[in-house]
Amino acid sequence: MPKSRFHRSLLYWLAFGAFMCLIPLVASTGVVRLLIFANFLAIFAMSWDIISGRTGYISFGHPFLIGIAGYTTAILTRHLDAPLFVSIPLAVLATLVGGTLFFLPALRIRGTYFALVTLAFMELMYQLTQVIAPKITGGTRGLSGLKTIILGAVPNYYLTFCVMFAIAFCLWLITRTRIGTALAAIRMDEEAVTALGLSTLKLKLFAFGASAAVAGIGGALYVHYIGSIAPRALFDINFLFTILVAALLGGSGTIAGPILGAYFLTFLLEYLRPYLPGAERYFIYGAITLVVYVLEPRGLHSILERAYGKLSPIVARGLAK
Amino acid sequence: MVNILIQGLALSGLYALLAVGFTMIFSVGRVLNLAYGVYIMLGGYMYYTAVQVMGLPKIGGFLFAIAAGIAFAVLTYSILVRRLEGNPVAVEIATLILAVVMQSLIILIYRPVSKSMWPVVQGVFRYEGVFVTYNLLVAMVVSWVALAGLLIFVRYTRYGRAIQAVSMDRKGAIISGIDPRRMNLLTWAISGALGALAGVFFATYTQLNPSMWVGPLIVAVAVVVVGGIGSIVGSLIVAHIIGFMETFTTAMIAAELRGVFTMVLIIVVLVVAPKGLFGRGEL
Repeated sequence: MPKSRFHRSLLYWLAFGAFMCLIPLVASTGVVRLLIFANFLAIFAMSWDIISGRTGYISFGHPFLIGIAGYTTAILTRHLDAPLFVSIPLAVLATLVGGTLFFLPALRIRGTYFALVTLAFMELMYQLTQVIAPKITGGTRGLSGLKTIILGAVPNYYLTFCVMFAIAFCLWLITRTRIGTALAAIRMDEEAVTALGLSTLKLKLFAFGASAAVAGIGGALYVHYIGSIAPRALFDINFLFTILVAALLGGSGTIAGPILGAYFLTFLLEYLRPYLPGAERYFIYGAITLVVYVLEPRGLHSILERAYGKLSPIVARGLAK
Repeated sequence: MVNILIQGLALSGLYALLAVGFTMIFSVGRVLNLAYGVYIMLGGYMYYTAVQVMGLPKIGGFLFAIAAGIAFAVLTYSILVRRLEGNPVAVEIATLILAVVMQSLIILIYRPVSKSMWPVVQGVFRYEGVFVTYNLLVAMVVSWVALAGLLIFVRYTRYGRAIQAVSMDRKGAIISGIDPRRMNLLTWAISGALGALAGVFFATYTQLNPSMWVGPLIVAVAVVVVGGIGSIVGSLIVAHIIGFMETFTTAMIAAELRGVFTMVLIIVVLVVAPKGLFGRGEL
């Protein structure tokens, strides 16, 4: 048996990684392609969760950050013919700058108003991309025919999974440090954290930066995976809704939660496709999330954890007999 | 120029009506109801169903729309919001999710295509280069009547004053024997009715489609944010600022930029003066 909780968690992480690496060996291409989307959604949901789940600053504008990254790399590769290894880091950098823009209002306002500002950012971006310089941004129709990083479902699966796994693992390491604890404390009582002599400014800046960077990485890769970008697909409440629902349903404020939520939703969608094609699936998504959110705001993660807590003594007793 | 002014005035009237229901909920319950846009959408769709599908008279369409607005608002409050009381952020998230759920329900029933609505009143008012549709003028008049009625209700009736008391000081209201939950429920019902009424005119002004709730919601948000917490008069002023700004932008710069300044206004005001331009006023 592993000695400490740290070792045990590490073991879970490795087991999860190994399991996911084996999936393409047995699963069909359709399932693998589905998992790619789940990986992207997991990245976005984790990014959302760093700001909103941990520090309690609810962002309704995450598509804004993802969109900055997407548009930066799309424009660089399309118009300047920049190679991907240049354009993607630049896109992440641009998203960091955008994240700072996000951060400025957070210096003064929090709670419900902060969410509104971020929502306004997203809608603003939606309108601006269509009007300002439509020759560069492609206007309402966006840009298509963008370079892809690698071809094929299985290589893309490994790429997205590795990125997702690396991000999750880094986040997990961060939460184990004192920074992670301090961030969680901000959610509970920001003034108390200040009173302890910690700079909430620096902590928040860190969280916002991390969230923006993750959104940037996800956004840039996503655009080069699907090969196109359009304002209505990105700066859209439905997209925000999917991210939010994945994080909340899985369990915000955890690492496994958003990943769990993303995978759950993606497969739910696929399972429902024969019955509910198109936008109607949001009905089911939303309804399930609302019920879970009202009954257990910490999501499936917490429900599973409690179920495990109740079951494991029973199982242990059963084994002892 | 006169034309722009009159157009702006008429649009502002409609916006004031759009926003006031949202303002009331915020003022009394201290929560932002992001499902408010759905009342507007429901109003439009119900009127459409009653008048253009079932062939009822227009007054029946209005009653149908308002009834649907009230019913949905009351359900939102009693099933969802009441459970999350004391956590405004959770209410905000839950109502946003609810709004998307309702949007997909509308898609499920009415298909995702846009539908155009017949104007409530046909015809265009023309006079020396001024032209405004009668529909928008009627919307403005209805809006003024509804808002005046609301002000009188809030200021001079028992229930209105009880609502006002809850918005000023919840604990004080409880001590005076007012049940804040009942007043909240009443406020939500009024808000649903106003939203649906505004929705009928908004839908005839633009068109019916399942994502039509976002635009008015953002206008309502801007009005509340810029006007300051829950002041009806502040909301009126800001509705006019936004209405005129949009009309001027459409006429002078470009129609596509219409919403941009509204968004910039929200961001700048929230960052520079988080309490709103008109502060915390009386309801």
